[in-house]
Amino acid sequence: MTLRVTLLVLALVVVSLAALALGPVSVDARELWRVVTGGADPVSRAIVLDVRAPRVALALLVGAALGMSGGVLQGALRNPLAEPWLLGVSGGAAVGAVLAMSAGLGDPSFLSLAAFAGALAAVFVVLGIARASGLRADPRVLLMAGVVVGAFANAAIMVLLATAPAEAARGALWWMMGSLGSAQWRDVARLGVVLAIVGPALLHWARDLDALALGHDAAAALGVAPEATSRRLYLAASLLAAATVAAAGLVGFVGLLVPHIARSLVGSRHRAVLAVSALVGSTLVVGADLAARTTRAPAELPLGAVTAMVGVPFFLSLLRRMR
Amino acid sequence: MSVFCFSSRGSTGKSWLTVIAAVVLAACTPAPDDRPALDDAGDPLPPPAVRSRIVSLNPATTEILFALGAGDRVVGRTTWDTWPEEARRVPDMGNAIRPSVETVIGARPDLVVLYASGENTDAARAFRAANIDVISLRIDSIAEFERATMLLGETVAEPGRARTVVDSVRGTLERVRAATAGRERPTVFMLSWETPLMTIGSGSFLSELVEIAGGRNVFADLPEPSPQVTFEEVLRRDPRFILGGPTTASKLGTNERWRLLPAVREGRVLVMDTLLVGRPGVRLGEAAVSLARLFHPGSIP
Repeated sequence: MTLRVTLLVLALVVVSLAALALGPVSVDARELWRVVTGGADPVSRAIVLDVRAPRVALALLVGAALGMSGGVLQGALRNPLAEPWLLGVSGGAAVGAVLAMSAGLGDPSFLSLAAFAGALAAVFVVLGIARASGLRADPRVLLMAGVVVGAFANAAIMVLLATAPAEAARGALWWMMGSLGSAQWRDVARLGVVLAIVGPALLHWARDLDALALGHDAAAALGVAPEATSRRLYLAASLLAAATVAAAGLVGFVGLLVPHIARSLVGSRHRAVLAVSALVGSTLVVGADLAARTTRAPAELPLGAVTAMVGVPFFLSLLRRMR
Repeated sequence: MSVFCFSSRGSTGKSWLTVIAAVVLAACTPAPDDRPALDDAGDPLPPPAVRSRIVSLNPATTEILFALGAGDRVVGRTTWDTWPEEARRVPDMGNAIRPSVETVIGARPDLVVLYASGENTDAARAFRAANIDVISLRIDSIAEFERATMLLGETVAEPGRARTVVDSVRGTLERVRAATAGRERPTVFMLSWETPLMTIGSGSFLSELVEIAGGRNVFADLPEPSPQVTFEEVLRRDPRFILGGPTTASKLGTNERWRLLPAVREGRVLVMDTLLVGRPGVRLGEAAVSLARLFHPGSIP
């Protein structure tokens, strides 16, 4: 296990360095070194430090946050398909973003705020439905409430897009496909703060996830209140996902796929699963973003599509091995 | 005026005095042309200077820069900037919206001309952070074309040539207007997109061109540049001509639904050269000539 983790860290470092060095404008290793030590050409400096570095850093954080968020949701709801997007977060965020854009408030920082607010609103609606349903002990209720809220959000988005001006509709579509194209240090700092608070808390609560995995009765016997705990975990994981949406739009598939990879590597103890999910998620998103901005350079592919294209074959091979 | 401005500062908190003070103060703020001008994204205009490396990410502004004689200093363009012919030799940097920031910075420009759109604000900020001058322009109407040309002329230190370009385009447009004046003006439906059905409203230079060329845009009452309309409304307005691009217009004659329109049934579908007519650039005059020849054959030799 130590060897596997070491290899994962190594992979992340290699991918990140490649992401700093590669792009439409080539910066060779020697120039990259001069950028770090000073004395490089100002244009290379601007490209590496101001354009690429915040982008790679944001990709790292987005991947880590989505990986952890997915790992927690799959554990808390005891469902291997659970992921932030299935549970209403993406739908709520998209409604917020599309509303802002069709109202002509497409300014990037306002957009992230609107997406974040939309995601949180959806999360509270889901919790409200689960609470009102009376089926408190059943983890499927959160799942169903999430799917229903997501479906409603989709309908709302279609209505908004059909009536929005062409420019707003294109902007909204781009946003829903996920992109790190406008990453700034400000975005890195915001997501970093959220991850620094929620991440350790989730690792701390990993034992509760282990208890929930034994079933509700066993968890209760171990002193873990099943409903309250899964609600708390759902809320924390969704908060993390909402913060990534505000920074990068909808980056699909990471939250679903990464925890499965993590479990195949380190077993089912949640502390290890969550830590490795963060590591694998970072590597996947940094790599996918590198592919997104180099395969069709100088044009870019949508990040969400690349993560899914890379992820689906991987996921299928994983399913085969599990049989 | 300055006396009023001075005395208003002594006003007390009484509401009517405050109102008067506000009116007087408003009158004292400098007239719009005294203020430093802003570009179409609301950012300050870059200073006039002889530019040696320009990246232009908008087909219309690339045309304008070549017309200003700055074409040999354009070092980057979008995929869609194909006129004049020499522009094709300039390195292609991709899209006009959400451009590849590092490709542009890598070309070491001293001026970037952007299409003014909310989606480009991040790119504009990144270029300014790299100490590159940025001007964001939006051209929907003929007046905006003239304004953009004058602003670009000032920015690249060619104001005289900018004036010449504007005067020459204006001259051609006036000649077309004169040649079609007094003729019966046919109604025209411009088909810009089929699903959803979209046309051209009075906010677009295309609507202006149709009027100058002696036609009447059936949807000139809609203010947006490219509004969505219903097919029923097109039927009701019964245009004399349908005007479209080569790919869409050629299919209409065999389409059952489109044949409900008398203009389609009777073969009055006009095909325009979208690369010439579709862009608010320096060939606006030529575009008007080509439309006038379609609406009024023989009006212009």
